[in-house]
Amino acid sequence: MKKLVVSTLSLTLFLAACNGENTVDESENDTTEDTVTEENKETTDSESRVLTDGAGQDVDIPENPEAIIASYLEDYLLALDVIPAAQWSISDGEGVQYYLQDDLGDVPTIPYDLPYEAVMEFEPDFIMIRDQPEQDMIDQYNLIAPTYVLNASPTDWRETMREVGTVLDLEDESETVIEDYDARAQETASLVEEQADGESAAAIWMIDTSLFVVHPERSSGAVLYGDAGFEIPAVVDQLSDDADWAAVSLEEVAEMEVDHLFLISDDEESSLTEDRLWQNIPAVQNEAVYTFDSQSAWLYYGPIANEQVLDFIDGSLQ
Amino acid sequence: MTDTDDLSPFKDRVFKRSLYFFFFLLFLLLILTVISLGSGHLSLSPGDIWQTVTGSGTEAHQLLLFQFRLPRIILAVLVGIGMATAGALFQGVTQNGLADPGIIGIHTGSGFFVVLFLYLVSLSQDQPPWWANIGLPFVAFVGGITAAILIYVLAWKEGVTPIRLVLVGIGINAGFSAAILLVQLRMSESDFNRAIIWLSGSIWNASWATVLRLLPWILLFVPLALYKARILSVMQLGEEMAVGLGTAVEKERIKLLIIGVALSAASVSVAGGVAFVGLVAPHLARRLVGGKFQRMIPVSAVIGAILIVLSDSIARTVLAPSEIPVGLIVSVIGAPYFIYLLITIKE
Repeated sequence: MKKLVVSTLSLTLFLAACNGENTVDESENDTTEDTVTEENKETTDSESRVLTDGAGQDVDIPENPEAIIASYLEDYLLALDVIPAAQWSISDGEGVQYYLQDDLGDVPTIPYDLPYEAVMEFEPDFIMIRDQPEQDMIDQYNLIAPTYVLNASPTDWRETMREVGTVLDLEDESETVIEDYDARAQETASLVEEQADGESAAAIWMIDTSLFVVHPERSSGAVLYGDAGFEIPAVVDQLSDDADWAAVSLEEVAEMEVDHLFLISDDEESSLTEDRLWQNIPAVQNEAVYTFDSQSAWLYYGPIANEQVLDFIDGSLQ
Repeated sequence: MTDTDDLSPFKDRVFKRSLYFFFFLLFLLLILTVISLGSGHLSLSPGDIWQTVTGSGTEAHQLLLFQFRLPRIILAVLVGIGMATAGALFQGVTQNGLADPGIIGIHTGSGFFVVLFLYLVSLSQDQPPWWANIGLPFVAFVGGITAAILIYVLAWKEGVTPIRLVLVGIGINAGFSAAILLVQLRMSESDFNRAIIWLSGSIWNASWATVLRLLPWILLFVPLALYKARILSVMQLGEEMAVGLGTAVEKERIKLLIIGVALSAASVSVAGGVAFVGLVAPHLARRLVGGKFQRMIPVSAVIGAILIVLSDSIARTVLAPSEIPVGLIVSVIGAPYFIYLLITIKE
């Protein structure tokens, strides 16, 4: 907490300093270049900040970019009330991040691998990417618009949120998003404490007959355990390797003896649920299995996804 | 396959015919290039292209044409030339119509070394060193040579019969594919996806940098191949005859193979595993101008270029804005031809 206060304080100071600089710049412009045309003035005003990105490049960040392409980072942008110029999609626009469609419904789709011409079509003035592609490709994207490769780890949404905020010059807003989220998470945490104190939970993703369990510190796992405060079953803790969702056997799921099971599955019926092992899971016996479809926020990262997961948890417990 | 008439290719009527075919194909390539420049997800009319080329087009059009489409088409041409020439050399040296470096595992050998190299580079936390990209063709070359030696050693049984070579080659191909998968599984998800796209053959991320990486190899080894073409023709007369005509057969064979591996490996290092070009292009060329390598290699190089430019145009327009790896399109054309050859080749 102390750390947070200090960093927020230093951030505010830093911002204040930046603002000061800006005003100095403007007044200088006004006095020395009285004859500048409106257009020229605009370009001097939008004098860019320089940040070092995850590929080690110094990137000129344009001020107030209007058409941003930040594929698979839409969650973070929307949390800052920034609407991107295009949204991530697979299978020729068929597959999108459905849980964001309330806000992204009108935003055109772009293939996930960002073909150059598809990017050009949107005439972006700023591109943000996460997966670090080859330097050749970054150079090509840079010909279209300044391109920033994120430093933040994809598995740490808070770090990502702060970096996106810094890059878009919306540091305060991004801190607010995180604070708001933490406050919202506190509500769920008290609900869990009230209704299911000391009880364990797991999020299981079922595809046909394969089962996957969420990493305790990633995606919806971070929400379930870190924010909402469910106990982590021992099996989940042992399984957690480097995947967001680790494959588990039905035996291992049974071994977890979870009290609450958040099941992500698109199948109405599965042969697995008929199994004796499944039937003996405490959550199944206590009718504490909550099913969600695989398009819901459980499989994603970001403040909006996480908040939806909190809503799901609340809804399930009540 | 072997015509035993006068070995000098520069006098006869067939030569004129070859020249005619060569220029006709070159013209075809030029037309395809212009069509390809105009096609893609963003539309460009011939008028737009003309305006842009003459310098009066919009900035966006200039960017699209000169920084994205042109390097890609030039890369397609270079890869086509490299792979077709390599194929012609392999088929000539092994006297085996099925010896395409893409089928017998030279490409996957190169690919394995490249993927391994990229993986090792990605392991270090630092930024990849500046020479990482320029080094790729060399790494691919070492991989290609390794595969070639493996194939030759394993296929050797008092000489190498064509079918044996292809069978061993397909085995080597499978082995290296498995090894690639092994490395890929250790990669992070994003690297994995990129490796998949790259391995199925793709030039969609072409830039002038990639063109410059491949160009020296083509400029050095294609003329070398043409220079050695006469020896290759002599070798078709049979080993005894070739020795009788004063050719150091084993030495020349190794030199020719090295040139072939260099061309295919350099092409693979920028375009990934595009198979069948090295098979189809020399075959078509032989049909058109006969088996003499002095004539056949240039024609087959142009056919290779046409094949890749055409396939790439299809690859980026059919599902635009999404792209299909160009290697898949080439395979769709090449695989049936390969099967046809397998059925019709007697020995």
